[in-house]
Amino acid sequence: MPAPSLRDLSPLTLPRWLVLSLTIGLYAAGLPLLAADSKPSLAEIEYFERHIRPLLHEHCYECHSADAKVLQGGLRLDTAAHVQAGGDSGPALVPGSPDESLLIQSIRYLGDGYDMPPAGKLPDDAIALLVDWVSRGAVYPDTDLVDEAPRTGIDWEAGRRFWSFQPLIRPEAPAISDSAAAASRIDAFVTAKLQQHGLSPSPPADRATLIRRLSFNLIGLPPTPEEVEQFVSDNAPHAYEDLVERLLASPQYGERWGRLWLDLARYADTTESWLGSTPNSYRYRDWVVRAFNDDLPYDQFVRRQLATDSLAETGPEDLPALGFLGLSPTYFKELLLPPDIIKVLVADEWEERVDAVGRTFLGLTIACARCHDHKFDPISNEDYYALAGVFASTRMIDRPLVAPEHYAAIDAAKTQVAERSTRITELRKKNSQDPQIAELEREIAEIKAATPLYDAPVANVVTDESLHVLPAGDDPQAGTKLVYRPEPQDLHLAIRGNPNRPGQLVPRRFITVLSPDQPRPLQTGSGRADLADAILGEAAPLAARVIVNRIWTAHFGRGLVDTPSNFGRLGTAPSHPDLLEDLAARFVENGWSIKWLHREILHSATYRQSSAYDEHKFALDPDNRWLWRMNRKRLEIEPWRDAMLMAAGKLDLTIGGPSVAADDPANVRRTLYTTVHRRELSKMLQLHDFPEPSLHSPQRMHTTTPLQGLYVLNSPFVTAQATALAERLWQEVPGSPADRVQRAYRLLFARPASEAEVALAETYLQHAGVSPAMEANAVPEAWRSYAQALLGSNELLFVD
Amino acid sequence: MSTHLPSPVSIPRRALLQTLGGGLGVMGAAPFFANPAQAGTAGLASQAVHFAPRAKRVIHLFMNGGPFQADLFDPKPHLAKYAGQRPEGANLRTERPTGGLLPSTATFEQRGENGVPVSNLLPRLAEHVDDICVLRSLHADNPNHGPALMQMNNGTILPTRPSMGSWFLYGLGSENENLPGYIVLCPGRPVRFAELWTSAFLPASFQGTYVNHADLTPSKLIPYLQNEIHAASDQRRQLDLMQRLNALHLQARGPDNALEARIASLETAFRMQSDASEAFDLSHETAATKEAYGSGHYANGCLLARRLVERGVRFVQVYYGNGQPWDTHSNHNTAVQKLCQDIDQPTAALLTDLKQRGMLEDTLVIWGGEFGRTPTSENGDGRDHNHHGFSMWLAGGGVRGGMTYGETDEFGFRAVEDKVHVHDLHATILHLLGLDHERLTFHYAGRDYRLTDVHGRVVKEILL
Repeated sequence: MPAPSLRDLSPLTLPRWLVLSLTIGLYAAGLPLLAADSKPSLAEIEYFERHIRPLLHEHCYECHSADAKVLQGGLRLDTAAHVQAGGDSGPALVPGSPDESLLIQSIRYLGDGYDMPPAGKLPDDAIALLVDWVSRGAVYPDTDLVDEAPRTGIDWEAGRRFWSFQPLIRPEAPAISDSAAAASRIDAFVTAKLQQHGLSPSPPADRATLIRRLSFNLIGLPPTPEEVEQFVSDNAPHAYEDLVERLLASPQYGERWGRLWLDLARYADTTESWLGSTPNSYRYRDWVVRAFNDDLPYDQFVRRQLATDSLAETGPEDLPALGFLGLSPTYFKELLLPPDIIKVLVADEWEERVDAVGRTFLGLTIACARCHDHKFDPISNEDYYALAGVFASTRMIDRPLVAPEHYAAIDAAKTQVAERSTRITELRKKNSQDPQIAELEREIAEIKAATPLYDAPVANVVTDESLHVLPAGDDPQAGTKLVYRPEPQDLHLAIRGNPNRPGQLVPRRFITVLSPDQPRPLQTGSGRADLADAILGEAAPLAARVIVNRIWTAHFGRGLVDTPSNFGRLGTAPSHPDLLEDLAARFVENGWSIKWLHREILHSATYRQSSAYDEHKFALDPDNRWLWRMNRKRLEIEPWRDAMLMAAGKLDLTIGGPSVAADDPANVRRTLYTTVHRRELSKMLQLHDFPEPSLHSPQRMHTTTPLQGLYVLNSPFVTAQATALAERLWQEVPGSPADRVQRAYRLLFARPASEAEVALAETYLQHAGVSPAMEANAVPEAWRSYAQALLGSNELLFVD
Repeated sequence: MSTHLPSPVSIPRRALLQTLGGGLGVMGAAPFFANPAQAGTAGLASQAVHFAPRAKRVIHLFMNGGPFQADLFDPKPHLAKYAGQRPEGANLRTERPTGGLLPSTATFEQRGENGVPVSNLLPRLAEHVDDICVLRSLHADNPNHGPALMQMNNGTILPTRPSMGSWFLYGLGSENENLPGYIVLCPGRPVRFAELWTSAFLPASFQGTYVNHADLTPSKLIPYLQNEIHAASDQRRQLDLMQRLNALHLQARGPDNALEARIASLETAFRMQSDASEAFDLSHETAATKEAYGSGHYANGCLLARRLVERGVRFVQVYYGNGQPWDTHSNHNTAVQKLCQDIDQPTAALLTDLKQRGMLEDTLVIWGGEFGRTPTSENGDGRDHNHHGFSMWLAGGGVRGGMTYGETDEFGFRAVEDKVHVHDLHATILHLLGLDHERLTFHYAGRDYRLTDVHGRVVKEILL
């Protein structure tokens, strides 16, 4: 059948089927062959709809679409998703390469048995059009992107149907023929996917690999040689599970996993310069570490960080939890400027809070709705302001860790002391011998002595006070004043995000799409406690999916959802949807226990797999999307640096307290305690992919740069650890170089050295000259140099 | 939406390395490197181009924050005529509300053989106008700094795609094995950081190396550049040992791009110690040269850029300053005086210098911001972001000088004639480098990715 004359097809005379497909397409979850973020241009959509879809419809859909009576070859060509997925023979299209595309080969009638359509070869001009389309990249518009008309409103019912907004279900675990491969529910789901893709799991990793993997994973430190030996030779049936328990009970566990949370919470030890010093920020970090160690149920963990100050069951010791909000980034406000400028800065800060809370707890980019309805997710402009009002009614303050009834007295005393201190400073400038100084100092001592708990520790917290940006005077040039009021405030919707163009007043309430009925009001005080209730109530399924995926990501190096902080439409769909549902549902059933979740994951055969390469499987799934092996993971800066310190015998395992500067040579504490300066990260952290501490960071990046290489070769830190390791080997292992080499390998790599490695070491040590400067030293320089080579090696940095 | 977006941690880069004519891909099979120094650089060797290149290297002078087009290369008398007004019928709708039209304080003069108008704010650069092709009709997709910076660098507004410098290295390799092929200079940090020079799913060895040149001491420019203890020969032996151990480790594990990339980067690190010290050391420059460039971070950046491209660095980006200094939301006219003063002499000196050394003809110089600014006022005396129309210029490297291309509307707000999208700019830059933007692809997660995605037109009209 000849192709219709396409040039005559004007948009006004689109055939009915096309109109229909566009309309239906509005809510279809179609996938463009384009990558997620490249929206096809209108021209491309038009090109496709006018030239390509009619051809596909005319010649292919009868057998390759949802309408097909019998779908042929498992291939559908009627949505982008199906085209991308391909059919029984594999992908139908290779965008950009018509010659490699099965569809094109078929329509060219090469006589290889796949000639399509079976009724007869298409006319040359139709083939040419399809070839041209594939060479241009085979743009297949995501049908809902065709909707270019401005939004007039959000269809909430449709919005709620998106997968991540659904209630949690408990899917049935697939029946797997190979029962050995399905030791746990996780394995059943993973194996089913593997089988679907013609893959199979890898064998378990050996014991030494497992203990190194587990140890870095759970406590961020390498196992000691003694621990390795014990585990490798432990024949008890539950040796592995026992090891998991020992590591989960270790106080170092919280230091490792707390850091994961601190990335999300944009934690910094030193915040913006205009805030003065923040010597107490570490109390939030230490609270997070403790919460992980205590396995504080995740719902409690969330609730306390948002609103522990309003919970009856928690006391002053939990106040630092509020550091999630209390240590938020702030933007400089020049109060000489008029209020309309300062209002924008303040609105930017509220946006930051909405963004951090939305992405951390809900995996939603709610802040995108500040200027207009969210472009992709069902989050309205009103939703944004309904939530922002909570943060507009919340003030960051310092607070002593005491019962609330003492606040007033301590605050008053501190104000009095501050006044006197200021006067002392002024007096000193004029005359350091002024007798008033001694008198003021005496008064200060008296005030402190008379105030119980005056020296109680202080934390960065929040309290319910609303911020109002007002003119400083009647004169328009007078600048701005910031006024805090005890009563909370609702915000006016700001037209196009501009607080100087107020629209309707939006009462504080939870976001619509996650509310089955009328959204819950967030009106008790600031509304923080109500917000926590909403996140853990009507939004609990989403909150659970998000945290479960984060923990999974940390174990496997990659999430079930690839975008850990975006569970909206621009996020990626889960690779194993049922597995995520199952884990999230059972996580909630098991009391939101993170340690339960760890056990569930770590006990699986999926986790215990070897990371070994397999040419066949790699060809099928280079990305390891279907988990046919364990991902080889590169250590982040924290465990890498800690491992060097530990091997060198220098690591100080003191838990908690103020941070230590990165370049302080005496800093041998865990890297968790290295000062994170919000505006200026230390070079060491900056070089090694430490996340920007003014931003919620969903996941660590791993870059490989020569500058990191220079750190290995030349940094005082690595050099010092090499020296310490060499000295340790020298002192602890009398006897032959080979014994020392063996000890080094066990300390660093949790395994003995091979003969070849020992030989390499011996050759190196024989030939390396001893530098004159080092002659007096007991340890030959060559050993120090050798130790540095081991510390810099890939084997230390990567975990199988 | 694709379900196969690259995750930052488990990116298979293997396929590429196998396409690099062996390169690192063969390493896994070799028991030891015959010469570890060679092994590390194989992946960076120059690759075949699609057609004869006009430019061999690129310097990108990045005016981060976004300069205002009508101050510099795109005179708009209508701004003065309608000062303070929003003429009826003119579509001046900006992202955030702005006020009436705010005239530029600049005056323009026809310069060069072809009488190209250049602002009095750039008197020295104006002397080079015969080497410069002004693109007046750039446009981009997003008015926010982050996404716009991303688009100018990576082609998309999201941080998941390789930066153009990574594509250059992927396509062309590096000319100098002992320096990073792609160096980003900034006295401080632009507001988006490593994602602006990321290699994303391309091999990590193609990513940009960020150098904060606020302090010019070579050992401070590049942290940990010097070893206080070892002689270089001892360190080479030490590294040989480390690399032999790494080779054994890799051999036992089969191919793994992350392992291979790190092996390569350690080699580059070693060679950087000597080569970078020299390359970054401005004290080797004559007093006359230093005087020609002038002083200040930007001048130093320009001079460093010349030293680096001279040594075979493929792509040098010079960010004008920390943060986004060109982001003049208030007090625009005063700010722009100072900004122009800062860039005029060094930029002119760079062009002179490249020319004198015979390098301008195969060095492409790019000047511009991530977007432009509004002709209307913000807060009375400021200007807001404007991605609808803005100017950039290109010089050298096969570009016709003494011309302008494209037009904005009468207020300089929107590109209206011969529009050049950022994709078109990228396509043109690649073309000048001898690379076909439609053929420079990398197969990843089921499709062939390009810098220009499915867009881009080579602006042939400006080619020599």
